[in-house]
Amino acid sequence: MPLLIMLAMLLIWPVYLGVKTSFTHDVLSEFTTYGAGLENYKNLINQPNFWLSLRFTMIYAIIATILEVILGFALALLFDRVFPGKRVLFSLMLVPIMIAPSLMAVMYRLILNENIGIIPGFLQRIGIEFSIFEQQNVFGSLIALDVLEFTAFTFLLSYSALQNMPSEIYEAAAIDGANARQVLTRVILPMLRPALAIIFLLRILDSIRTFDSVYILTGGGPGTSTQTVGIYIYKTAFIFGDFGLAASASVVLVLLLAPFMPSIIKQFNLNQGGGK
Amino acid sequence: MRRNYGVTLIASFWVFIFLIPLLGAFYTSLRTDNAILSGPFVWEFDSTFSHYKNAMGAAGYDFANFFKNSIIISLGTVALTVFISFPASYAIVRLGFGGPWLLRLALALRITPAIFFVIPFYKLFTAYNLIDRPLALILANSFINMTLALLVFSGAINELPLEIEEAAAVDGASIWTTLRRIVLPLLGPGMAAVGVLTFLFSWSDYLFAVVLTSSEATPVTVGAANFVTSYGVRWGDISAAVCLSVLPPLVFATAAQKYLVKGLSSGAVKG
Repeated sequence: MPLLIMLAMLLIWPVYLGVKTSFTHDVLSEFTTYGAGLENYKNLINQPNFWLSLRFTMIYAIIATILEVILGFALALLFDRVFPGKRVLFSLMLVPIMIAPSLMAVMYRLILNENIGIIPGFLQRIGIEFSIFEQQNVFGSLIALDVLEFTAFTFLLSYSALQNMPSEIYEAAAIDGANARQVLTRVILPMLRPALAIIFLLRILDSIRTFDSVYILTGGGPGTSTQTVGIYIYKTAFIFGDFGLAASASVVLVLLLAPFMPSIIKQFNLNQGGGK
Repeated sequence: MRRNYGVTLIASFWVFIFLIPLLGAFYTSLRTDNAILSGPFVWEFDSTFSHYKNAMGAAGYDFANFFKNSIIISLGTVALTVFISFPASYAIVRLGFGGPWLLRLALALRITPAIFFVIPFYKLFTAYNLIDRPLALILANSFINMTLALLVFSGAINELPLEIEEAAAVDGASIWTTLRRIVLPLLGPGMAAVGVLTFLFSWSDYLFAVVLTSSEATPVTVGAANFVTSYGVRWGDISAAVCLSVLPPLVFATAAQKYLVKGLSSGAVKG
């Protein structure tokens, strides 16, 4: 019992500290810190950069998540049958999960490099000039990186969900004379809708906190055009040294995500109660 | 039976797409500097693997040190996470302490973005003079992975038949003995899932590493990213360093793929 109280304290302590900092005037260049009430939050509201980063994060997360869920589900459907080499290809599909997003970003930067990268080299061969640092290419490149890295995750979860469907349903549909397309739209999709919704939710919550890959690839630039909320918080605290402001931004971010928490918690409890 | 080579072809195509960054880095790491600089399609390979030798120390990089740090941090995180969360989950599930609300708290924390914890951890570790020590990253990563471990362990303990533990209690075994002799051996799969996921996530951590280390305790993720800026033109060495950095989790997680899949699909949310 004391162990658990300690554990609960341990889990809550950093949360407390984070919230407390958000109500503190805490700037690195000034030696004293003092309670400041809502000062940081008032300042935050007047920071256009914060709102821009929030908007960018949302657009980025929604587009990337939609693409990943669709592609992951389509690939799961593809893998949901017997074909030669399936075991090896399945393992290879999971490889991106095992690669750190930051390392993936370094490799991605390498293959996109204007002088030595394979992709620009290839595009040049077919007559297209490409530079990731050009404004119109940056967003697409970031989305593509996210898709390359995380489709494996949506694929795996969709595949597990497909595997859990009772095979009798397919047989029943076949007896009723349904064709493959009807089975997909009338049977599989309606049955997997809750699972797909959860996968979507998990992925979007994940991509909202994207930091590593975007930071390494663009550092939030050009300018602040690809600044995610994570990068905004990081820069505010560790480059501009305003811990109070950064803490209040992270509190706002958590509050924005909070409405999603009950549905995730409910999902997990259902999993536990209802067996596998 | 008709063999579905068409499906194999389509699946291979997509696998290839997803692996382009890795293949590209591997390809670059094997080529000579000369070839790398003259364009991506000059076929000239380095038979002496000099980029790998450079990355591992021949050219004076600290990469071997980063590698060592990553291993210490990841293994330390796995050990600490299991050591705390296993008895705690048992207490929550079987002894009824804290009950479901503690698990709900754990899940809520799991969904909270890691960036939220960066500032408190920075403050805490500065106060205790732990910045740039591997211990700081072990503690931070354990905190983040603890919640996942609690959830996986609680789920696994829930599925164990209660009768075995009752029999042990009747035979006079204490709670700790039951835990060690009976429950632990039965929890192999859950343990493997927690182990592989925790290893993977702590190896992949970049955010905490970039904030809590400066040089001594830097792991490969931050080290490799810094390579790009500090040694801008030495692409071959960078590629070799990245390929080496990817290797340990790749080998480990592929070997334990079954548990990875189980752990990830049982509601794991990435931090």
